[in-house]
Amino acid sequence: MPDTSPSDDSSVAPRSTGRGFGRVLVTVYGIFALAATARSAVQIATKFAEAPVAYLLSAVAAVIYIVATVALARGDRTSRKVATVAITIELVGVLAVGLLSLLIPGDFPSASVWSGFGSGYGFIPLILPFVGLWWLRRTR
Amino acid sequence: MTGPFATAIIVVALLLCGWAVVLVIANRAPDKALLGASAVLEAMLVVFLIGGIVQMAGSDQEFARAEFVGYLLACAAVIPVAAWWVRDEKSRAAAGVLAVVFLVLPVLVIRVQQVWAGPVA
Repeated sequence: MPDTSPSDDSSVAPRSTGRGFGRVLVTVYGIFALAATARSAVQIATKFAEAPVAYLLSAVAAVIYIVATVALARGDRTSRKVATVAITIELVGVLAVGLLSLLIPGDFPSASVWSGFGSGYGFIPLILPFVGLWWLRRTR
Repeated sequence: MTGPFATAIIVVALLLCGWAVVLVIANRAPDKALLGASAVLEAMLVVFLIGGIVQMAGSDQEFARAEFVGYLLACAAVIPVAAWWVRDEKSRAAAGVLAVVFLVLPVLVIRVQQVWAGPVA
C-alpha cells in the first residue's frame, strides 16, 4: 500500500525492509549511493575520455545503489521487487567488474566502487548484495 | 586542512562509534547522552566545514576544490540525515545506524585531508 506520509507508523508494514536491521542496511546502501554518485560525477565531468566504459559502469553502479536504497527504504510490495532486481544487478555487476578489473587492469584504474570486488571500500560492495538479498528473503 | 581539530573529530567519532556499538550489543536504543554527544560532534563538523571553506578561500594551492567542498559538506550532512532516518526507530537499530555513520566520518575527514594535500592518483 503506497504511503505518502512516511511519519505515519500505522500504515507501514511491520516486516518492512526499511525497519529494524533494515535501517542499518539502508544506511549502508545510502552511503554507497552517495559515494558512487559523487565519484562517477567527478569522473565523468573531469576525465571521461580516459576510460569511458569504466566510467559509465561507475555511473551504472551509482544508479543501482540509489534505486536499491530508495526501494529498501520504502519496502512496499513494488519496492521489494524493484529492490530484488536492483540488488541482483548489483551482485552481477560487482562480480563482473571485479573479475574484469583483474583480467584487464588497464581499463579499470581503480575506476569504480566495484573494481577489485570493491577492495577500495573494504570489500563491502561484495558483501552488500548478499546481505541485501538475504534481508529481502528474511522479511518476506 | 590538517592538524589537531581534524584529529579531534576522528577521535570523537570513533569514541561515539564504540558507544553506539555497546548500545547495539546491549539491545538498547540511543540514549539522550549519546544524542547530546552526537550534537556536539555535529557542531564540530559545521566548524570544520566553515573553517575548511575559509582556509580554501585564502589558499593559492592547486587542489580539487569542488571535491574538497563536497567531502566537507558530506561530513556535515551525515549525522542530521541519519538522525532523520532513525527518528521513529525505537530499537537498537537506531544505535546501529549511528555506529555506521560514526565509522564513516573518520574516512570522510581523512579524504578531506587527502584532497587538501593535493591530487591523488
